[in-house]
Amino acid sequence: MSQLQARFFTENKRYVVDDVPFSIPAGAEVLDLSNVINKLLEAKNASHSKVEFDFLVRGQFLRTSLSTHMETEGISTEDVVEIEYVERITAPEPEECMMHDDWISSVDADAEWILTGSYDKTARIWSVEGKAVMTVAGHTDVVKDVAWVKRDGLTSLLLTASLDQTVLLWEWNSERNKVKARHCCRGHTGSVDTVATDPTGSKFCSGSWDKMLKIWSAVPTDEADEVEEPADRPRKKQKTQQLGLTRTPLMTLSGHNEAVSSVLWCDSEELCSASWDHTIRVWDVETGGMKTTLTGSKVFNCISYSPLCRRLASGSTDRHIRLWDPRTKDGSLVLLSLTSHTGWVTAVKWAPSHEHQLVSGSLDNLVKLWDTRSCKAPLYDLAAHEDKVFCVDWTESGLMLSGGADNKLYTYRYSACQTDAGA
Amino acid sequence: MEESSSRNMRREEAKKVRQKTVKKRSTEEEEEEQDEIFNFNKKPAEEEEEEEDEDLSDSEDSVFSGLEDSGSDSEDEEEEGSNDKEDGDDEGLKTGPEESEQIEEEKGGVTHKKQEDEYERDSSDEEDIRNTVGNIPMEWYRDFPHIGYDLDGKKIYKPIRNKDELDEFLDKMENPDYWRTVHDKQTGSDIVLSDEQVELVNRLQRGQFGDVNFNEYQPQVEFFSGDLMVHPVSNRPADKRSFIPSLIEKEKVSKLVHAIKMGWIKPRRQDDDSRGRYYDLWTNEDSSILAKHRMHLPAPKIPLPGHHESYNPPPEYLFTDEERALWEQQDLSDRKFPFVPQRFSSLRQVPAFPRFIHERFERCLDLYLCPRQRKMRVNVNPEDLIPKLPKPKDLQPFPTTQSLVYRGHSGLVRSISVSPSGQWLASGSDDGSVRFWEVRSSRCMKTVQVGGAVRSVAWNPNPSVCLLAVALDSVVLILSPSLADRQVVSSSERLLSGQQEEEPAEGVGPVTWSEGEGEELNQGIRLKIQHPKAVHQVAWHAKGDYLASVMPDHSSHLQVFIHQVSRRRSQNPFRKNKGLVQCVSFHPVRPYFFVATQRSVRIYNLVKQEMTKKLQANSKWISSMAVHPGGDHVVCGSYDCRLSWFDLDLSTKPYKMLRHHKKAVRGVAYHRLYPLFASASDDGSVIVCHGTVYNDLLQNPLIVPVKVLRGHVITHDLGVLDVTFHPTQPWIFSSGSDATIRLFT
Repeated sequence: MSQLQARFFTENKRYVVDDVPFSIPAGAEVLDLSNVINKLLEAKNASHSKVEFDFLVRGQFLRTSLSTHMETEGISTEDVVEIEYVERITAPEPEECMMHDDWISSVDADAEWILTGSYDKTARIWSVEGKAVMTVAGHTDVVKDVAWVKRDGLTSLLLTASLDQTVLLWEWNSERNKVKARHCCRGHTGSVDTVATDPTGSKFCSGSWDKMLKIWSAVPTDEADEVEEPADRPRKKQKTQQLGLTRTPLMTLSGHNEAVSSVLWCDSEELCSASWDHTIRVWDVETGGMKTTLTGSKVFNCISYSPLCRRLASGSTDRHIRLWDPRTKDGSLVLLSLTSHTGWVTAVKWAPSHEHQLVSGSLDNLVKLWDTRSCKAPLYDLAAHEDKVFCVDWTESGLMLSGGADNKLYTYRYSACQTDAGA
Repeated sequence: MEESSSRNMRREEAKKVRQKTVKKRSTEEEEEEQDEIFNFNKKPAEEEEEEEDEDLSDSEDSVFSGLEDSGSDSEDEEEEGSNDKEDGDDEGLKTGPEESEQIEEEKGGVTHKKQEDEYERDSSDEEDIRNTVGNIPMEWYRDFPHIGYDLDGKKIYKPIRNKDELDEFLDKMENPDYWRTVHDKQTGSDIVLSDEQVELVNRLQRGQFGDVNFNEYQPQVEFFSGDLMVHPVSNRPADKRSFIPSLIEKEKVSKLVHAIKMGWIKPRRQDDDSRGRYYDLWTNEDSSILAKHRMHLPAPKIPLPGHHESYNPPPEYLFTDEERALWEQQDLSDRKFPFVPQRFSSLRQVPAFPRFIHERFERCLDLYLCPRQRKMRVNVNPEDLIPKLPKPKDLQPFPTTQSLVYRGHSGLVRSISVSPSGQWLASGSDDGSVRFWEVRSSRCMKTVQVGGAVRSVAWNPNPSVCLLAVALDSVVLILSPSLADRQVVSSSERLLSGQQEEEPAEGVGPVTWSEGEGEELNQGIRLKIQHPKAVHQVAWHAKGDYLASVMPDHSSHLQVFIHQVSRRRSQNPFRKNKGLVQCVSFHPVRPYFFVATQRSVRIYNLVKQEMTKKLQANSKWISSMAVHPGGDHVVCGSYDCRLSWFDLDLSTKPYKMLRHHKKAVRGVAYHRLYPLFASASDDGSVIVCHGTVYNDLLQNPLIVPVKVLRGHVITHDLGVLDVTFHPTQPWIFSSGSDATIRLFT
């Protein structure tokens, strides 16, 4: 077996080895290289305990033998190979399973609380430990999306979007465990499928089946906006009066030709929406104009944006997760395709603290953890669900969540990989 | 003068040789010779040189003199240039010296006079003219003392022959040169031959060339060989005439040209055969017989006999045991040869061919049965018959994979329909329920128990209302599923409640309208239209106000009803029974109505109230029909596994028949936006075809099957029962007998 000259380096100060080229067998695999590094570290530091490493050759994870990898990547074996090594991301461990009464349509979690929307027309609040805290009932139809708005001490604001064409803004006091519908946001003429809060927490945007995006104020007030409702429907009016004050949109963004499936805020001025018309559009919130259109070939189910790597990830009704650069002007350029799912990709989410990791959920019952440096295969498959997965989320505190049509919300603890967060 | 001195030396040598050879030469002779030389010396120097040359050559060649005259040709040629004129006397001189010496020997001083006249003795046929008697038998002079006359007419006396027989004998015994002594009859003297002369005689007797040095096997120089030479054979420059056009020829040609111009020369006249040289026997013959003769085909040629037919074939043509066994097993017609190759040492031993008569008979039979008619066969490459279709890959998008399965029904799902917005899917099943599904999540949002096997569901195509027509048993239900915007719901409510007061006036007909009540209202059942018979299909008009229902019945003309929902009126458009109606459809834009019976599709103009077209589907039993969103094309599925595409502008016959299904076709559908159509069959598959329709009337639709979608499980011999496309996406829904609905994207 031929030998290769390799130089190892890492960002992590704890595991630095000498910067000298080593001669290693070309057929070496990850485990062999990991042993090499461990040996070197032991030689330097007697108290070193064994650590599993992963290796990056020119920004791509090593998954096969070194020689095969270099052959496929077209790297010359004559030169000294620069191999970066990072601590291996350990498999996410399942933690809790939260049973719902019906399919889970959406989930939004922060460090303390988990908010889920369900097809039983309610939203639920859970503690991160998996304890059911509150059931938010009020919608007359399926809750399609939920979102936290902001938290001031014990009082939290949250949003629920529903098939009944409304978005409700709730105020929840965690101490008294009381929830109150503050505003009922009316204006959509179709199922509201997605809602997103802007980074400042003062506005939110909703996307609907009626092809519209609407921007609303997220600040609760005690005055209802006047709505020019037709007076001939007393029955409906009575219902809505129970659910807080009516609110009308600040702005309506129209441009999509089909239902809007996903919306998010890139920053407080920029909005990004994905639609069934095979486009992702970037909007300027100030002017209400469209900035960029990214055109795909399939219906988009979901998008996610990572401010760390400034990439947009999209899941569509084929098997692929695609990464886009929202800044390209005539963007129909897919930077990367991640293919491993066998069904529609219904949910994608970038890791909040890691620029390379994202998680995806699909109709093939699988949740997959990806690293963009290893685009051929995901890092881990999480096969806990017994039915379609509809939503996934991360928290910065080290939880991954996924919910689906088996009425279960799974949480997984993952090693909040601080080691190469700055990588 | 070096040259002349060297020649003198050689001459001396030559003299010595002569002295050797001619023994009888006396000193007088030598004087004579010197005298001769003296005489020669009196000539001019140049001539002398030449004379010496001659003498020299003479002396050298003289050994052969008198016996050969062409032996030294080459030498002669060499000297030719300088002494051309002496050629003649050179010849003469060759024979000259010895004999003249001998004469001198006899005559003394007279001889040197003769020498002066070089041409004196020159004669071609007389070598020796010292005796002038010529070539006569010398016996004539036997009795005379002389043997002839010299040039001066004086007698030449015989030498005194004093030798008798004894002398002769003694001479023979004693004279060592006797054997080489010959008697010259003309002069009567004896001549002793020199060694060279003896040698020459021997050579000639052996048949060799006289000249020893002559090489008769000289290498031949082949000038005109096949090899390409670098240099020309002769160095002679090319003739001028070889590169200058001949003036004579030019003159001749110009004369001919002039003659042709003037018409003096005419082209050779063709022999005219029409003057009865040949008589056309067949001119008055019947043309059909002539045609038959013209079509005559010669009998095929019998191939030439090969090695295997030889009486002594090479061993590889002889049968091995296996081959023989095989040959014997084979059928007569399968055999390669009708005989076994056999080996005989000679043709004589070949026995009679036992099957000779049989074989002859078969040959005659072949000739007799050989087809004598020319078969007009069209040479068509089979590849060319296959139409050039684009690859399915280039025709994307079309549904390729199963994405979602909608589970919930417990009976076979007979009919499905997608809401015009594409958000909802309605399905009617044999389990007596109508279900509403959210397309994107496969979630069943609503279940309406209607209490009977649902035969058909149809979503109102008008996007501003949200209504579903459901056919079960003999009732058509209008459902308002309230799955849409409030505005839409209210507008559909308005549509249903309008013109309510007119209902009693209409109540007499065979169809009764009634409103849903109580629990039914909660479920969304708003209207019930009671029909006299079981309804099999419902179809909406594109505007969403008219609804057609089908009640197949052989015996009645009450098979189709058209209902107006807003006014709650029903009417039967047909007075006559034209056959068992299978399904109906409205034209998407024009006031046409399509009625599919078992064998044909009739198109009626609803405004003029007349039939405009009748399409003949070449199938036994039409099961389903779909009208292209453009309205100019119809596709029909039939129970005998066929799918027929009609181009209404083209013909009433199917433009294309597709037989891709193995079992009965149950449902067909067109996509509203994409150029796609699909058919569902009992074999559990859905076949998606690309069908581009062109606005250009000259261009026929392009139909390419692109995908076979499988997924449904065949239960009770039923596969896929209905198929429908998503209104906006290239997705297809199919419902099957396995109680599922599947979405392919």
